[in-house]
Order: sequence, then structure tokens, then C-alpha cells
Amino acid sequence: MADFLLTAEEDARFRAEALPLLDDLGHYARWLTKDEDQAADLVQETYLRAFRGWRGFRAEASCRPWLLAICRNTYLRVRSREQRVVAVEDDELDALAGEASVMVGDLSGGSDPFGMPDLGDAVAAALDRLPAAFRDAVILVDLKDVAYADAAEILDVPIGTLRSRLFRGRRQLQEDLLAFATDAGLRPAGDLTPPRQRGDDDGA
Amino acid sequence: MEHEMLDCKAVMRQLWDYLDGELTPERVEAVAAHLSLCQRCFPQYEFQRAFRAAIAAAQQTRPTPAGLRERVLTALLQAGLRHVS
Repeated sequence: MADFLLTAEEDARFRAEALPLLDDLGHYARWLTKDEDQAADLVQETYLRAFRGWRGFRAEASCRPWLLAICRNTYLRVRSREQRVVAVEDDELDALAGEASVMVGDLSGGSDPFGMPDLGDAVAAALDRLPAAFRDAVILVDLKDVAYADAAEILDVPIGTLRSRLFRGRRQLQEDLLAFATDAGLRPAGDLTPPRQRGDDDGA
Repeated sequence: MEHEMLDCKAVMRQLWDYLDGELTPERVEAVAAHLSLCQRCFPQYEFQRAFRAAIAAAQQTRPTPAGLRERVLTALLQAGLRHVS
């Protein structure tokens, strides 16, 4: 018979709060590993670590970001994957964000430039091409709908770094997806030329 | 109550925060008010909103692989999780 790690009350709380997130974690693990078997291993290991650490988990805290952080940290430990370095200073990126949004917005050329069929595979492929640091941010915020503060904590980076990585990842994704749409004949190639250069018009 | 007046640059800098629900209610109101009136910013808002929706829709919606829940539960029970009748 197993030695119980938790009181009956703690055990019940683990069942009530952590176990319902299994599908959510499985989804996240599949994005991380890109492999069903590895994802299953990762989810199991995540839950075992969470179970062993449950007593130290603050009852008032949100369980989801805590589990997502365990999942990611476990993945990084197991894989020891090579992280690409984000060389540009975050302050500079923050300053660029608004300007670049204007430029990317100019590329749209239509009301719903992403309303195209079969975008799921293109998104997955574009995500795979992102530098790991950007992909981590995009997956947490855009796919897992995690708040900036929680995502920054999960990734163990300052929130400014999270925002910068998120911005740059999204921008690269947009460029990739618009190129995909053009290559697929879903958009005319001419749409990729910004009709208005940045700074032409600063007024409302 | 009057909105804080924001110019286009300020709105563009906060556009993702707006879309991601990271702004205060007052700031949300100010950005929304600007977007509703600005012909330059609104298309860019629409573009980013469509992008975000496309990414969200591209999530893997496959169900959890059969057996994973049981596998995890079995491992947890072996680790000390209590049986629930």
C-alpha cells in the first residue's frame, strides 16, 4: 500500500483542481514535444511532480499556470533543448511594437486576411519555424490563453521580455502566414507591398 | 465620464494589450473609443484581431489520446493518490 503524501483534504483538492486540467496539459505538451508519446510521458511526469509538490502549492494561487510551468520545466529538463538567444534588447522591441503594427496592418489588404481554409497546418508549421523563445510566448498566450503575468512567470522572464518575444513571434507568424496565403494563390502577391510607408501619416 | 484621449501611436502601442485583455477597464474604454472613430487604426485592429482568432482556431482540438487519463491516474495512485470509490 502506498504511503499517502497528502491529507484527505489535500488529496481531494488535487483531484478537484489539478486533474481536470489533464486535457489542457496534454494539448500544451503536444505543442512542446510535437510527439504523442513524448507528450503522454510529459503529462504523466508533470502530474507526478505536481502531486509530490502539491503540499507546497499555495491554496489561493491558480493551479493552471503552476501546472503549465511544471510541464514546461520538465520538458526543458528532459530535452535540454538548445534555446536560441534573443539578441535584441527588450526596450528596443517595445519601442518598435507600435510602429511595426502599423506596417503589418498595412499588409492586410483585406478585411479578413486569415480567413482561409486549412490554416491549421500552416500555423503549426509557422510556429515550428519560430525561434524557441518566441514560440514559447506565442503558445502560452495565443494558444493557451495565459495572461501575460502568468506566462512571464511560467517562462521565468520579466514581463517586458515576454511582451517583446510575443510581439516578435506574432509578427513573424503573420509574415509567414501571409506568404503562405500568397504562395497558395489565396492572396495576390501585390498585397505584400505596403501601400503606405511607415511615418507617412501620423494623424488620426 | 470622459475618455482619456489617445492618439494613433498610443493606440497602436497598446493594441495587443487591448486584444489580449491586459488593459484596465478605463484604458479599454479609451482604446475602444479611438478605434470606433479612427479610420486608420480600425483596419489594423481588425487585422490583428483576425490574426489572433486564426491562431486560436488553429489549436489542436484533438481529444486527449485514449488511455492517457487512465495512465496518469494509475501512476498517481501508485505515487500515493487515494482511491475514490
